[in-house]
Amino acid sequence: MFASFRHSMTWLHTWAGLVLGYVLVVVFFFGTLSVFDREIDRWAIPQTRFAPQPMPSFDTMLRPVLERIRPEPADLAAARERAGGALPALTPVEWTAYTTHRDPVLLLYTEFALGKDPAEPDAVLYGHATIDPRDGRLLPGDPLKLGSEFFYPMHIGLHLTWHDVGYWIVGLSALAMLCALVSGVVIHRRLFREFFTFRPRKHVQRSTLDLHNLTGVAALPFHFFFALSGLTIFAGMYFPVSETLLKPQAQVAQAAEARARGLPARAAGVAAPLASVDAMVAEARRRWAARGMPGEVGMVQVEHVGDRDSVVAVYRAGSDRVALLGQAIHFEATTGRVLHEEPPATAVTGVNDFLTGLHLQQFHHWLLRWLYVAGGLAGCACIVTGFLFFVEKRKRQHARAGVGGARWADAMAVATVTGMLVATTAMLVANRLLPEALAGRNDWQQRAFWGAWLLAFVHAAWRSRPLRQAQPSPAWREQCIAVAALAWTAVALNAATTGDHLLRTLAQGYWPVAGVDLALLIAGACAAGVAARLRGRRRAPQLEGHHA
Amino acid sequence: MPEALLQALAMLSSLCGMGWLALAMEEHWRQVRGAGVPPAARLRALAAVAIAASLALCLAADHPSIAVLVWIMSLVAAVLSVAFALAARPRWLAWLVPASR
Repeated sequence: MFASFRHSMTWLHTWAGLVLGYVLVVVFFFGTLSVFDREIDRWAIPQTRFAPQPMPSFDTMLRPVLERIRPEPADLAAARERAGGALPALTPVEWTAYTTHRDPVLLLYTEFALGKDPAEPDAVLYGHATIDPRDGRLLPGDPLKLGSEFFYPMHIGLHLTWHDVGYWIVGLSALAMLCALVSGVVIHRRLFREFFTFRPRKHVQRSTLDLHNLTGVAALPFHFFFALSGLTIFAGMYFPVSETLLKPQAQVAQAAEARARGLPARAAGVAAPLASVDAMVAEARRRWAARGMPGEVGMVQVEHVGDRDSVVAVYRAGSDRVALLGQAIHFEATTGRVLHEEPPATAVTGVNDFLTGLHLQQFHHWLLRWLYVAGGLAGCACIVTGFLFFVEKRKRQHARAGVGGARWADAMAVATVTGMLVATTAMLVANRLLPEALAGRNDWQQRAFWGAWLLAFVHAAWRSRPLRQAQPSPAWREQCIAVAALAWTAVALNAATTGDHLLRTLAQGYWPVAGVDLALLIAGACAAGVAARLRGRRRAPQLEGHHA
Repeated sequence: MPEALLQALAMLSSLCGMGWLALAMEEHWRQVRGAGVPPAARLRALAAVAIAASLALCLAADHPSIAVLVWIMSLVAAVLSVAFALAARPRWLAWLVPASR
């Protein structure tokens, strides 16, 4: 089919890159935003703009809230529909409290079991609550956390929740990314000689390819390990053998592992009271300190809530390591006796923890966070220049032949790339403009996001006509102007509606909000700069055209 | 803050290392110096020392698992910075080779 290996790799790189590149650039961009998801949350929810808090007292503060949590109404309705009427009794089976060094508010989860059907041990429902750990009060109105509850799910699953199809598309794209990286290295003719090469003053096709190669090769380790670890994190979803083919074996293995650790795998079915969890937390901290690694509590989990065989697990926050959580100490919930202290990770779990941790990054390291942003933006630049190169290489030929290929590839690129920026900034503007008391405020913010993106698609398609004469589409420039206007508006609205303008946040050193504002100002300036340059270029090619 | 200082020095070492690696190539040497031939072997040796120093500084600042990530990402940032400097303001890199003929 192909004359050489290099030809076949070129074909793979071009088409896998183009088709899944539209998904990949979305994944890369929202992944980049997710590096600062908690900070975006603070920007979007002004009442949570205070310092991160340590895990509060479980006995006096968390337990009463956990006992009041009910399942999500939508999930409850769906379960009722599945059951065809009344639901069996709902019993809480697991309580979780999770925090990181960047969280002022605390997230609590309760897992409920539906009835006691042994054939369906996994029929569960979830409920959650966000509290202010300073006074234990619930966050009023359960506002949408724009960073961790909208941009982050966009990164991992595109908000396509039907049969988890979004996760599968993102996984396929990560696989395509790995293919594109390998094939890209194969087809690159001068990888070492042009390692530092970017020639912005050469013709567009050359300088686009330079930038594509530079951002791809320079950040190759970042691209490779993030695509790979993204896949391994969800390996259990892509190969759900322990839930399907090998389910009985998996359950036996789970029970054996629990026995080996002295932990009960199942509830005894006998009610028993819970001892002081605060005392267990104090004991866990004492043991970590004795091991030479004192630390904060990252997660507290109570399994088989209210049962005689209930277990409390206290996990150490991995702020100073790459691995997320670890060094768990398991206690007998009724007495507070230590059942099991997790030994140091084996080589295999160590590698897995490292891959997961480097991707999910809950560590305390602002420099590394910013370096990740640089890597993510390099990835975006690499994919976008890939689109531009594809179009630039074909547009004249397609215009002459009257084929629409380059035109639609370009329109899709505008709609995806600048359209995504328009949607994101529009959502931030909506977040500050919509009245606090509005019913369904969370939904309206999401509608603003999707609505703005849809408009960007229509606009990109409508303005793509000049490609028929191999001229650049004005949509790039126009959407850049929209991005600049929206980004700057968001900063102004934040100052107007909350009073936390940059002078104040910088003076107070409140970086979560100052950082988002500064990033928006810079992003707006970049978009305006690009728009200005494209305006200059719009005239130049016409002169070129006369000569040709 | 000694950690922040170590990290800053690590970033600087990575930048110098990648800068010297680029300058060891004739094309980039001419962009920066205008003419001549680079002392390639010496520049590459210098680059290797700087990149190793960067790793040592990262390891001194953080837990090894984090240090490795910081080191690799600092090299990524350094390559991009050097390439953009060569494209826009190549003379800015002249300070890396002040005394060479």
